[in-house]
Amino acid sequence: MKKERGKIIIIIAVVLISLYLLYPTYQDYNYSKKLESLRGEDSVKFLEENEQAIRDVKFKRIKLGLDLQGGMRVVLEVNTPKLLIDLAKNKDETFNTIMNEVMIDARTSDEPITSILLRKFNDRGIRLSRYYGSIRETNEEIISKLESEATNAVDRAIEVVRNRVDQYGVSEPTIQKQGARRIIVELPGVSKEAEVRQLLQGTALLEFKLLKDPEVVIKVTDAIDKFLAGKPIVDSLSADTSKISDTTKNVASNDTSELTIPEGQKTELEAAKEHPFYYLARPDQRAQGEFFVSEDNREKVNRILRRPEIQKLIPSDMEFLWSAKHAFIAEGKKWYTLYAVKSEAELTGGVIVNARATIDPNYNQPIVTMEMNAEGARDWARITGANINKRIAIVLDNAVFSAPVVRSKIIGGNSQIEGLDNIDEAKLLEIVLKAGALPAPVDIIQQQIVGPSLGQDSISRGINSSLIAFILTVIFMIIYYNKGGFVADFALLFNLLFILAVLAGFHGTLTLPGIAGMILTMAIAVDANVLIFERIREEAVTGKTLRAAIDAGYSKAWTAIFDSNLTTFITGVILYNFGSGPIQGFALTLMIGIVASMFSAIVITHVIFNIMADRNMKISFG
Amino acid sequence: MRFFKKTNINFLDKRRFFYFVSLIVISTGLISLIFKGIGYGIDFLGGTELIIQFDNPPSIGEIRNALSAKGFAKAEIKVYGDPRNVLIRTTELETGTEVGDRIKSALSEHFKENKISVLEEQKIGPKIGAELRRDAFYAVIFSLIAMLIYIGFRFKFIYGVGAVVALFHDVIVTLGVISLLDGISPFFDFEIDQNMIAAFLTLVGLSVNDSVVIFDRIRENLKIYKAMQFKDIINKSINDTLSRTVITSGTIFVVLLIIMLFGGEITRGFAFALTFGIITGTYSSIFIASAIVYEWSLKKNKNKT
Repeated sequence: MKKERGKIIIIIAVVLISLYLLYPTYQDYNYSKKLESLRGEDSVKFLEENEQAIRDVKFKRIKLGLDLQGGMRVVLEVNTPKLLIDLAKNKDETFNTIMNEVMIDARTSDEPITSILLRKFNDRGIRLSRYYGSIRETNEEIISKLESEATNAVDRAIEVVRNRVDQYGVSEPTIQKQGARRIIVELPGVSKEAEVRQLLQGTALLEFKLLKDPEVVIKVTDAIDKFLAGKPIVDSLSADTSKISDTTKNVASNDTSELTIPEGQKTELEAAKEHPFYYLARPDQRAQGEFFVSEDNREKVNRILRRPEIQKLIPSDMEFLWSAKHAFIAEGKKWYTLYAVKSEAELTGGVIVNARATIDPNYNQPIVTMEMNAEGARDWARITGANINKRIAIVLDNAVFSAPVVRSKIIGGNSQIEGLDNIDEAKLLEIVLKAGALPAPVDIIQQQIVGPSLGQDSISRGINSSLIAFILTVIFMIIYYNKGGFVADFALLFNLLFILAVLAGFHGTLTLPGIAGMILTMAIAVDANVLIFERIREEAVTGKTLRAAIDAGYSKAWTAIFDSNLTTFITGVILYNFGSGPIQGFALTLMIGIVASMFSAIVITHVIFNIMADRNMKISFG
Repeated sequence: MRFFKKTNINFLDKRRFFYFVSLIVISTGLISLIFKGIGYGIDFLGGTELIIQFDNPPSIGEIRNALSAKGFAKAEIKVYGDPRNVLIRTTELETGTEVGDRIKSALSEHFKENKISVLEEQKIGPKIGAELRRDAFYAVIFSLIAMLIYIGFRFKFIYGVGAVVALFHDVIVTLGVISLLDGISPFFDFEIDQNMIAAFLTLVGLSVNDSVVIFDRIRENLKIYKAMQFKDIINKSINDTLSRTVITSGTIFVVLLIIMLFGGEITRGFAFALTFGIITGTYSSIFIASAIVYEWSLKKNKNKT
């Protein structure tokens, strides 16, 4: 017994960790069960009361692949030929002919587009500088520039897509770069094809919008706050006071009940009652007229701002916009900035010619330089001149990426944005500015839509057949190996627990082939036990004591188990690297399963048998 | 309970007969593969595939009429599982998603009374299809090479060769069977798609398992019975592990059979390839992998004397 203590501690620790990792998945299941049982008002109330908890478990639970829960998977590819056409200047007949040929070749060839382009130009004896770069640059220089433009285009496209998907509010989207030119977007639970396509392919809109005067903003938000608290509005900006007070009472009581305040925190409860809006949208102490809202309250604030009574309080030339990225993290939540801007854009991104993130050599600070065309520069000079010391928000697809202060009138269109926290922020801003200037044309090259009903059907069939297979295996083991089989079944259950726990812990995704992979690892786990038990039987025949036979069986079966499992593991690794989506899910569960099955079949069962032998319990292997 | 008392079968003496059996099975399969071919899934072909659910079971002919009118005369149309579900596939290679949209609008125009909903839609661009095919090919080849290296390293090189030849045997036999069954019954209509490649790679892993377990026994018995003939050692090792081989393969076989019968459309092809692969895998580890190791030892001895 003492000898096994270390192993027992390890086993218990592994089991506890597994249960800990699986708890969110269990909770998530409970929440969705509960939500299903509630109707209308009640379900909304439940959702709001437990918003944070539900979000937390959703993040930590085992994720289901698109084939199981339905949704869209889209692979986008940046259309490099189109980008090259957009980049060219002085386009003429010859250029168009060449580009047509390039496009035809590109459709079937694996050759990089830029090298096709170069080849076509060389064939005709035309230099690239006729259409790209400056006259003194060599073909090689231009090609390398174009290549980096093409790479940048992918980054731009990713940022545009990510920004939009964030604004659209898909839960758990995956956006990944694949290879040099591709973007994989997975949107679980989304089936509105047309909307999503617009989301992914539409041209990005970059705008410069003036922030509203803080005093004006505060007047408006004060009015909203008072309205929500049910107080009469003293300084109404636009609406008819008497008309509002009619509805005030009943709306206000509704709203305060929406807020979730833990019992015993009287002051917070009071604050929430007193200032319902400022409780959600905390005024920024440093920059007046800006507010911080935690991620879980964003939707709530949106709902409030959309209400027609509230809309009446907001001047028609003013709108609220969210920051694209969170400003900081506090209390374990991300906090976003809420800006109030002038609805009408001062300028749109089309005028930007170039943007570049660099380090300011004088102050060693990250900055972004921005260049505009002549027309844009003229407007920009007027706008900046009229708004010195005011702030202009850089807005991409309705999300604010930065809101720098105008220091002076900018003539000539070359601006510099300072005060960025780090070079990453600067690079993001560069991408955003360019996204407005030079759209990255993307094509959908692969699209998969799984309707939710097919998902449901797949799940139930997959789970049912797995269950039958599992039960049959368990029964067979007991019949064939008696008590030994019983112990092996026990280990099988642990095996299942470990696989699921590792999937949850590593944010793995469970797909239908993944379930198949799990069943297969069950079979492999059985194999390990079969190898051991057959060996123990053989050893027992030679007249060894039970304890000695068990030990010999385990040690002799080990090399066979190790070698055979490792070969399967190798195929798993290869599958994971070559496969895509669902196949990777299969490979992942297979690999996790092999490790788990070796642990459960070798360590766990051995410890159990040893304990049983020490206590002189009867062990039989059929 | 046990199915096997101590067995003492002389497997190696029967090897010529089984070479002959394998040769016949493989050539039948190859002939079918060459002349009848094998269907590719949409992910390897490229094109658009829709699985549409109708409120009431539609007539395939009518769907064909509706689609032909819109220029999709060549579309493949078949019932998918439930009679209300129809799979429509075209290999039109256009970029974008227009093909799917046009099919959907054609159907909803034609079947005004019979509402349709899209269960699944897949569009694979021409380049992606070619890439996936290439990746799949590499995956299978790499896994075979990896097996050869690993077993060669853990045992001897010839063991690796034996195991890999057995794997080739399994893959070709299974491919041949899929090709032979093609078009015989909708239940056994399988295509080579990504799931199928996953099945083949798993088959490679499992089949090599059996070979490794036998090789492991040979390695052990060689140390114990130093005076024994190599042929007897191989026979003894196969017999020693026979019970395990049958029990394990039998369990996996039952598990896969259940998935094949009740697991639904998506995993059926996958389960079929593996179910069949388990049988040939078990067989080949005994009659191909071990036999090759033996043949080689014969040759070596002959050279010596």
